[in-house]
Amino acid sequence: MFIINCPYCGERDQSEFTAGGEAHIERPKQPTELSDDEWAEFLFMRKNIKGVQFERWNHAHGCRKWFNVVRDTTNDKIHAVYKMGEKPSID
Amino acid sequence: MLNINFPKIDKKTFNDLELSLAEEKIKINIRGKNKDFFTKVGKITSIILPTEANTSSSNEKFNALWLSPDEWIIYFDGKDTNKVINNLFNEISKLNFGAITDISDHWVCINIKGRKTFDLLSSSSPFNFNSFKKSKNNVAQTVLNHTDVIIHHKEVDDVNLFVRRSFAEDLWLWINDSARFL
Amino acid sequence: MPNYRVKKTDYVDQTNRISFKFDGKTYFGFKGDTLASALLSNGIHLVGRSFKYHRPRGIMTCGSEEPNAICQINPGTDLTEPNVRATEIELYEGLEASSQNCWPNVNFDIGGINNFISPFIPAGFYYKTFMWPKSFWKNIYEPLIRKSAGLGKSPTLPDPDLYDHKHIHCDILVIGGGISGIIAAKIAAKSGSNTILIDDKNTLGGSTIFQNNENFKINDEISKDWLFKEIEELKKLKNLTIKTRTSVAAYHSYNYLLAKENLTDHLSKNNKTSNIRQRLWKIRSNKVIIASGAIERPLVFNNNDRPGIILASSVNKYLNFYGVICGENNFVFTNNDSAYETALSLFEKGIQIKIIDIRKKTNSKIVKRVEKLGIDIYWNSTVTNTFGYRKLNSIEIMNLSEDGSNVIGKKIKAKCDCLAVSGGWTPMVHMHTQSGGKLNFRESDQVFLPKELDSEHISVGSCNGDFELDDIIKNTNEKVKSLLNLKETEFEKTYVSCTKELDKRNIWLLPNKITLGKTKSFIDFQNDSTAKDIKLALREGFRSIEHVKRYTTTGMATDQGKLSNMHALGIISETAGVKMGTLGTTTFRPPFTPLTFGAIVGRNVGQFFDITRRTSIHEWHIKNNAKFENVGQWKRPWYYPKENENMHQAVQRESKAARDSAGILDASTLGKIDIQGSDASEFLNRVYTNAWSKLAIGKCRYGLMLNEDGMVYDDGVTTRLGDNHFLMTTTTGGAANVLSKLEDYLQTEWPELDVFLTSVTDQYSTVSICGPNSKKILIKLFPSVNFNDDDFTHMSFKNSTINNINCRIMRISFTGELSYEINIEAKYGKSLWEKCIEAGKDFNITPYGTETMHLLRAEKGFIIVGQDTDGTMTPIDLQMDWIVSKKKYDFIGKRSLYRSDTIREDRKQLVGLLTEDPKEILEEGAQIVSNISKKPVEMLGHVTSSYFSPNLNKSIALAVVRNGKKMKGQKLLVPMENKNINVIVSDSIFLDKENKRLNA
Repeated sequence: MFIINCPYCGERDQSEFTAGGEAHIERPKQPTELSDDEWAEFLFMRKNIKGVQFERWNHAHGCRKWFNVVRDTTNDKIHAVYKMGEKPSID
Repeated sequence: MLNINFPKIDKKTFNDLELSLAEEKIKINIRGKNKDFFTKVGKITSIILPTEANTSSSNEKFNALWLSPDEWIIYFDGKDTNKVINNLFNEISKLNFGAITDISDHWVCINIKGRKTFDLLSSSSPFNFNSFKKSKNNVAQTVLNHTDVIIHHKEVDDVNLFVRRSFAEDLWLWINDSARFL
Repeated sequence: MPNYRVKKTDYVDQTNRISFKFDGKTYFGFKGDTLASALLSNGIHLVGRSFKYHRPRGIMTCGSEEPNAICQINPGTDLTEPNVRATEIELYEGLEASSQNCWPNVNFDIGGINNFISPFIPAGFYYKTFMWPKSFWKNIYEPLIRKSAGLGKSPTLPDPDLYDHKHIHCDILVIGGGISGIIAAKIAAKSGSNTILIDDKNTLGGSTIFQNNENFKINDEISKDWLFKEIEELKKLKNLTIKTRTSVAAYHSYNYLLAKENLTDHLSKNNKTSNIRQRLWKIRSNKVIIASGAIERPLVFNNNDRPGIILASSVNKYLNFYGVICGENNFVFTNNDSAYETALSLFEKGIQIKIIDIRKKTNSKIVKRVEKLGIDIYWNSTVTNTFGYRKLNSIEIMNLSEDGSNVIGKKIKAKCDCLAVSGGWTPMVHMHTQSGGKLNFRESDQVFLPKELDSEHISVGSCNGDFELDDIIKNTNEKVKSLLNLKETEFEKTYVSCTKELDKRNIWLLPNKITLGKTKSFIDFQNDSTAKDIKLALREGFRSIEHVKRYTTTGMATDQGKLSNMHALGIISETAGVKMGTLGTTTFRPPFTPLTFGAIVGRNVGQFFDITRRTSIHEWHIKNNAKFENVGQWKRPWYYPKENENMHQAVQRESKAARDSAGILDASTLGKIDIQGSDASEFLNRVYTNAWSKLAIGKCRYGLMLNEDGMVYDDGVTTRLGDNHFLMTTTTGGAANVLSKLEDYLQTEWPELDVFLTSVTDQYSTVSICGPNSKKILIKLFPSVNFNDDDFTHMSFKNSTINNINCRIMRISFTGELSYEINIEAKYGKSLWEKCIEAGKDFNITPYGTETMHLLRAEKGFIIVGQDTDGTMTPIDLQMDWIVSKKKYDFIGKRSLYRSDTIREDRKQLVGLLTEDPKEILEEGAQIVSNISKKPVEMLGHVTSSYFSPNLNKSIALAVVRNGKKMKGQKLLVPMENKNINVIVSDSIFLDKENKRLNA
């Protein structure tokens, strides 16, 4: 159980959040123009990194906002949190 | 006549703790972002919506709780739902300045007061009440026994706990059970 | 019987006599005893049989690392608990305990024969032997093995005790109340930090609190006296919480720890002051100071497991803390100085004591003192064998060769009934590693030590490898100071005088004249694995410590190898010629000591097992005998049996009534989302498969929501309340997920849309009335509303009032019948429902539950998302092509509907199934095949919904079948355990294909 520093509400227990998978995978603006392979790339392909990973989280039991988290999957250390559309400042 | 039925919540007193249903209340969910939105809300309720996270503001009639950067709950005692809600709805929702939704029955308000209030809440919430309990007007949306709640620190050792109606009886029984062990 | 209680101490109240039972016999002990110390005071050493060989075993330690003395507490009662360590259970009046793993009793155990056939049951024996013939495993081998193996007995009665959980947040958590923990806690609390100190014993002070020895002085006081005063001062500190009888079970990341507090386990039934037995503390601490101490190592030699062979420090504690001696002819067998304290304590009480030291000679202060007192020391010697079946009676001693690899000289046999062994100390790094910390290896005394990287936690005292009193105090002070950024503490000038160890010698497996195959040198006492087993594993090619552990089961018992892991590593290292530091350790996993299930689940049992959601009409359902079904967390009426009706009869009656006259359903659980904003209709266009822009105000429309992969995700009816205002309904179970998914798209993919979503699920109660007479009932309820079909059409709504209360009437149908839903503020829900029942009396209005609802909609071929779909069904698979807009450029999942996989024609598709025998009801989930004789049998699909329809008087079912669309009229088989059921593929709409009933 780690603590996530919600960019809107501050530090909260992990149990208030739900995870939303890898971040920065933008939904194609014109899906119909894509080949099966290109669409599959968006739909299915995820990096699932052992180490530092960019993820989406939702403060589901708090402000209901979605945001991004930079987390090391080997030790759960969170290096940064930032709002949707922003760039992370990683320490 | 249609009768009013609230979830079965009776007043209970324990050592240093008092639990009761705090209804009936009007609760309005308000959403909005732009300047006109804030102006309209201010005009109708004479309240300045708090923009600082996890805080609330109050005047003689209304309490406004921060829920997210574009979402608040305004609640107040009373039954004259139509007037305030309709005013807000007509001036904000209808004119596309934001969204006004009547949620008076979506949430049930339970009042908890006494020296052991935060002891009670800590028994099943992972929220850190250490600084929350030090000053009033704090607001927290968190979980209590896996149930979503909004906690409004109204007065010292006196909180209004909002829980969704369908969960209310279950949470009420749980809180009572917790209170036995304090 | 000799009296083994030889001394008065501060911690056992010898005026307070307590009776208890062990294996049915009554004994006496005193307040302050543990079960172990009380048994020892009665001369009882034999307390159990070993796991595999059923060898007699005795109490070996005085703490949580105890491998042998594990008991069944209160056997045969509802309070019984297996695998309790006698060394940890505090004695109380009426305590009953029995030994485990022996039959018929501990003194005569039939399984003991395993000891004599042990050459035939080496490591991996079970894996290798019971492989063949395969059919024997289930019926012969397994029942036999299970009967003779296993530890305690699980309780069979409900647990009468209560357990609780509590969250707590603090600045500093100190784990362990020994001398370093006390120093750390005092510094932290005095510096203003909100501090918690936790110790698993009932008394603070660790092993220093009974260190009554002139060789250990702090500020010129005997160490125990100095510490006693410190503890008294500590107890007065304001921002310090002390929790005794509390053990940390798990240390997770971000300093999240679970600690179990025992509140009543030490009290007799009549004296329980708390109604909670155990409380699990969920601690979140800014910083953690681990002061968990060290565990003494046993020595590995032939027959090192007999009752009476006890860790030296434990012998010392039994004497100085409990006032009990473990034997009359004592030997200390050691490789280090610490055991000399035990020798001194025994000597001072006038008890016979001799020392065997594997070291060649050493001249430390304490050794010199021992020699001066005239205590015999056998230098450079080892024990090569021990004797005595139920209790040790003698030992055999030999000299060690120069390099320690062999024994030389003459055997000396000596009378000995207590052998106090010490193989050095193992720092308890469990907490450090559980938190994610790594370890370093210190060659000089072969210990793994915490490698500290971050500032989240530190280890102090002997768990950090400080074993000398002066080092402990000095280093604890320094480390805590720097953790808290303090300049100075009160412990700066603490003056310590103590003996210092000068020489070390360690031999993991002590040599013997007998070949290893014929010795019994135990490493893991609880799982009965020996040095021989480890060597066998190595010979068979196992190298990784994790593999050796699993193959030999070393360290896999309830003590998790607290005593055995280091020896296993040491022997692997010596045998394989690999440095211990590079071998690494096995993973230390929580819990540190076993947790009761009660402590894990807390109060979430019985009525609180799961959260329950109730509709506002719940009370009425209960009064009217509803049986409930769990739908998500909701309690929904399932059916309402009358008198002696069973479920089938009730559902048949309800279903018929709904189609013949009128039925009423509590539909309040459906998810409801209020959608506002100028882009609301555009938003709906993007999330549903069909088009929404042209939906008129006052109209409703059914929508199907897909995942981006094209699979059906949720469905429901959405109503247009205003230009920019909609009310969406979702499935009962999907409500929260749908809202979260929609917020996700709004916040991340389409932030440009002006749309606000607010959940109003609990705001409204929904009463659904269906059936040919529903309109008449509605007219009675709402006389001012025009219910004419041309004015109030199907899929539209009207606002109205009932007794001046606003409500919304929607004409929508999930049953295929003429049907209305009334939405009203939840506080009026029950009252409205009662009004509807009243108004419907003349029409036999029949409340129906979810089962009837499912049946009715199946007759009409309507799907239930999650029952007829499972995340692999597209709308096309469901034969719902009509709802997928061809015109819209995009919506969630659109692109996936023409991927190569989704356009395959032989996908599983939703069809109807009719049984050849119309009375035969299929089982939901049953497989569907076409040819049963061709092996392997090809599975074509499965039954998703199945009912007996009273309105059609035949059995109907929905199923997903490969290529089902093209199979209409074809015969298939549903093979069951005893028979094969013939079925015919049919249309999925069984009733009223022409929708006549909607406008009846």
